[in-house]
Amino acid sequence: MQPITRLFFASALLVCTTAALGANADTQAREQWHGAIQNGYESLATKTEQLASAAVGYCNAPTSDSRPALNDAWLDAFLAWQRVRFVDFGPVENNNLSWQFQFWPDPKNLVARKARYLLGTEAPVNAEVINQSGVAVQGFPMAEYLLFDEQLNSGENALPAAKNCEVLSAVTRHMARNARGLADSWASFKQHYLDTGPYRDTTIKAGMTALEILEERRLAQPMGLRGNGKRNPYITDAWRSGQSLMAVEATVAGLEKFYLPGLITSLKTDGETELAERIQRQFEKVADNFPEAHAAMATLMESDERFRILQGLFVDVSQLSTLINDEAAVALGVVRGFNSSDGD
Amino acid sequence: MLIHRRTLIKATVAGGMAATLTGCSLLPGKTGPQPERYAGAVGLPDGRFGVSAFDRSGNVQWQAPVDTRCHSGCNRPGRKDTLFFERRPGWSFYVFDAETGQRRHRIMAPEGEHFVGHGVFSPDGRWLYATASRYQPGEGIVAVYDAEQDYKRVDTFELAGIGPHELTLHPDGNTLVIGLGGILTHPDYDRIKLNLDTMQPALILMDRRSGQIVGRFAPAHHQQSSRHVSVSTEGKVYVAYQYQGPLYKRPPLLARIEDGQLREYRFDPETQAALGNYIASVVAHPENDLIAAASPVGGTAIVFRGKTGELVAKARITDCAGIQTLAGGDFLVSSGQGRLVQLSAGQPAKDIARLPVQWDHHLV
Repeated sequence: MQPITRLFFASALLVCTTAALGANADTQAREQWHGAIQNGYESLATKTEQLASAAVGYCNAPTSDSRPALNDAWLDAFLAWQRVRFVDFGPVENNNLSWQFQFWPDPKNLVARKARYLLGTEAPVNAEVINQSGVAVQGFPMAEYLLFDEQLNSGENALPAAKNCEVLSAVTRHMARNARGLADSWASFKQHYLDTGPYRDTTIKAGMTALEILEERRLAQPMGLRGNGKRNPYITDAWRSGQSLMAVEATVAGLEKFYLPGLITSLKTDGETELAERIQRQFEKVADNFPEAHAAMATLMESDERFRILQGLFVDVSQLSTLINDEAAVALGVVRGFNSSDGD
Repeated sequence: MLIHRRTLIKATVAGGMAATLTGCSLLPGKTGPQPERYAGAVGLPDGRFGVSAFDRSGNVQWQAPVDTRCHSGCNRPGRKDTLFFERRPGWSFYVFDAETGQRRHRIMAPEGEHFVGHGVFSPDGRWLYATASRYQPGEGIVAVYDAEQDYKRVDTFELAGIGPHELTLHPDGNTLVIGLGGILTHPDYDRIKLNLDTMQPALILMDRRSGQIVGRFAPAHHQQSSRHVSVSTEGKVYVAYQYQGPLYKRPPLLARIEDGQLREYRFDPETQAALGNYIASVVAHPENDLIAAASPVGGTAIVFRGKTGELVAKARITDCAGIQTLAGGDFLVSSGQGRLVQLSAGQPAKDIARLPVQWDHHLV
């Protein structure tokens, strides 16, 4: 064989090998993501089932002990959702499941309006009614309203009032059914997910979008760092229960547990081990803000001293967002475009 | 040899913007009205939005601020009006002086309606037809405005369907060609798609004088959302889909009316995959049988022959969306990264300019 020909074959072999390694790594990353997200969805199914049971248990025998247990069950399920909330593709797109679990933002306070309507109706509020009532009724914000809204819970419809119990039971049952269905559908989705290359970028983008929403809409905007500069804890999610920041912690923890391993595999395959390690360390830095930042966002906005806790969290989330959305995205060639994310 | 040329402009409304033209000293001339001027909705580096027009030298002629992101627009035949519609849900459209960018009108949508980003004029430039939605009942309509009465609303045509998007005028001068996406949304619910299981997209032909629907064509699958349309000079009607089903399915994304039904175009598997189940623009060239389509989701633009379906150009262009036909038979594709790329049949794509803006979906 002539040297030049040998060189050609050697190069071709090298290209093929590298390409094959890349394809294997992509599959490996998708296997990691699929398994991790499956665990997250199973946890959501378990926790929402426990919430539905707790609602029925409390309403059947309301005691001073069972009420905190019900509130805790809501929080456990809500945090399980926060951990998988970043997944915006696959079965969670069916029937707007993601929106069903959490209708947010809600600038027109549709949750309160719909709740007042349902609580005022004489007809039974059953599974069929919840099914037909739209996404503002079908998830965590509605259950949170029924459990935690101050005005509601100081009036005649406060839990364990029969009508509130009826609505809460139907809503939490709907959530549990959705969560079980989602976990099952995700399992069935596995082969398509592994066989379809573009899901690698879709998954990476899902985490990027979640971080952007976290940084901008769940922290910067309510903190008054954008727009008119006014602090407003009521435009973030879960303000009624005062759990906005617990939710932030859970979202970051979910990204670390269910998203980061596959991302690290992708980065290391592209020779970006050092960046992967920096991202890992930044996740730890965000986590270090807790439990100090577990307070209600409104509480942390009351004084400059407390606000600094929020600022510290924001800075760390912001740096995490930059590492993934700018550095990792560029390294992996993943682009979320002005037009590609528009939808028209 | 590449000639790099930066056109410096005075720091006026343009805010220091200029195109970097590569490989040429002038942008190609467009087909149709206003061949010397390009206009598009833009996202600016500081997060604000505007509408920008520039000449063939890459000089920004004007840049007008707008309150919210715009989508597409149209030029008024025989007059110097350039219109841009706000992005869905669009509560208004703007009328600019095409030469200076001065805002002449801002027309608000009536109570209970919003625009969806597109409009087209009658050939005489008097009547403006804009797709819109009555959002409470979810009814798609064509809103008719009289430009000679300062864009007074004068009529409303029913589409008997949900989610109209782009419309254009057939060369017969009388038939509106309308993409009906079929997707129900409501401004209170962000952009949540409320009816993916039951959507009924269609390509609709409408008599622009009477509002009568004279043709209605349903895609093969009910989730092929029919958003964008184009008509060739010979009257061949094209429609582009945004498929609402899962990514692992790869249905055809482009079709044209042939023998009274929709003939779908399916390309090789690699090209189908590269289009990401989402076409943002389709444009038939008035001088030949070539059609261009752009997918920002797939980061790919293609050109194919209408008669045979043969793929004659394909280019990876990150976040590409807008398409403009050029005098001489080529296409210009714009991207959210500010690029302008020339596509020719059988030729490699040619980068011809880059501006410090994010070009929004459609060039005008």
